[in-house]
Amino acid sequence: MSEWKAASPSKALRRAAAVVGVGHSDWVADWKRVRNGEKPTDSYGYGAIAFGEALKDAGIRKDEIDGLIVGPTTAYERMSEVIGIDPRWGDQADAVLSVAQAVTAVQAGLAETIALVYGNDQRSAQIQYGGPQAMGGDAFLSYVYHSPWGLTSQGALYALTFRAFCDARGFEPDDLGHVAVAQRGWSSMNPNAVMRKKITLDEYRESRHICEPLRLYDYCMINDGGVALIVTTAERAARFGKPPVYIEAIGRRDLNHGATSLEPRLTDFYLSAQQDCARQAYEMAGFGPADMDVFQVYDSFSVHVPLALEGYGYCAVGDAGRFLREHGIGPGGRLPTNTGGGHLSETYMQGWAHQIECVRQLRGECGERQVDNCRHAHYTSDVAGKAVSIIYSR
Amino acid sequence: MTETRTEAPRTPAPVMGMYDEVMWQSIRDGALQLQHCTSCGTVLYPPAPVCPHCLSTKLEWRAVSGRGTVLSWVVFHKTYLEAYPAPYNVIAVRLDEGAVMVSNLEPPLPKGNWIGKKVKMIYHAMLDGLVLPRFVLEQGDDAGPARAQCNRIRV
Repeated sequence: MSEWKAASPSKALRRAAAVVGVGHSDWVADWKRVRNGEKPTDSYGYGAIAFGEALKDAGIRKDEIDGLIVGPTTAYERMSEVIGIDPRWGDQADAVLSVAQAVTAVQAGLAETIALVYGNDQRSAQIQYGGPQAMGGDAFLSYVYHSPWGLTSQGALYALTFRAFCDARGFEPDDLGHVAVAQRGWSSMNPNAVMRKKITLDEYRESRHICEPLRLYDYCMINDGGVALIVTTAERAARFGKPPVYIEAIGRRDLNHGATSLEPRLTDFYLSAQQDCARQAYEMAGFGPADMDVFQVYDSFSVHVPLALEGYGYCAVGDAGRFLREHGIGPGGRLPTNTGGGHLSETYMQGWAHQIECVRQLRGECGERQVDNCRHAHYTSDVAGKAVSIIYSR
Repeated sequence: MTETRTEAPRTPAPVMGMYDEVMWQSIRDGALQLQHCTSCGTVLYPPAPVCPHCLSTKLEWRAVSGRGTVLSWVVFHKTYLEAYPAPYNVIAVRLDEGAVMVSNLEPPLPKGNWIGKKVKMIYHAMLDGLVLPRFVLEQGDDAGPARAQCNRIRV
């Protein structure tokens, strides 16, 4: 994709906005309740609980919110009705794009203080990510297109990706186990994590295959919960009780060529999109991977992590296996990654909980798992070829 | 009443958009056709209204060679679909025409790495009657490395 023009977002977005409040539902308690057959609440309820917590954390009243972004699992109008606000600007987006949209909206004056609200009752509602009713049957393309041949589930797409990645870049399949082991190391120190029992590399290697070459521990959990963030202008953020966490930079590049046929997943591994996204974010920030204290990666599957390490320049292309093995991403490792435990071990909030983990690390609120003197946190996702990065700073 | 038909596990139905029907008819006829762009030569999969390279609407349905190279493969150990009891394989194949297709590899299965293996298309009738294009190894490519067509990035 060498024809891409090296364009970047306006530097006016740099530190234009900050996160001043974060909140979430009690997904640890709800995990137990749902497994006992209860349904604590619905997606709107989880979002509303998280929104209330975020308001408390920010120390503001609901009527100070004049913008709302809801996650993809709830309808914008209904969520706005449920939490009882009448914004002057609104949107619906996934985790990473919600943050990016909030930055552009407050910078442009479309709203001053925006609530980002996500709720998902995916476990208690028995949402299927594989099988005949996956993603609403035949309403979506991507892997549903290939279901006549038995290809179903997001995990299978990453299994196909990972096999080709190993072959192309010389990655040893067993090295993938370092991701699950490291993230469990972090979650063992996180009271908000659903899965806290440490695992060893041997336990990883002995765990069963779901879609070979991927194993049980390479898959995220499916659980209920909600997350909310309050984003406002940098100017206003300085007047809040807790130290603001600035959105230092953003970057994005989508790779949609051949998306349904899976070609970019199998031949490029999204590398070209990640590299362009990284260039934009690092240019805006004025610093790069060597300056990051915490790395957060959207990890519906462990496979995302080695791809991101190479794609965003944390190691050379072809070196992710050695990086995981020799330098490490867990507690005590060179690059603290998914420090809450991520989707594999903390909670599967589709990238939303990663945002609050960035904020809490930068505020120094993470207790036992706190990364010393955390100044910069890089969150990135490459879901379905949309490579998007957010850099948070104190 | 055809008892075997009603009891046969249902194969997941193909996505049937406006441009998919011709392709599935060609599969039933035993010779997969894909759209070839008459302006720039791009071969489309899945079928689409325009060429994604040059936006031409001059697309011609032509049979493909049925030859290709394995790009990746997986083995399902969990059963999600009644027509596909685990374990079973899924492969991604780059056709000689350039398009990438997802399918299955019929036995005999290669030992070791499947990536780079040369394959050719066959037509397989599922128990419920749906005909699927699948692949078998090209003769003489069931052993040894064959890596010329794979996407090795040199680092």
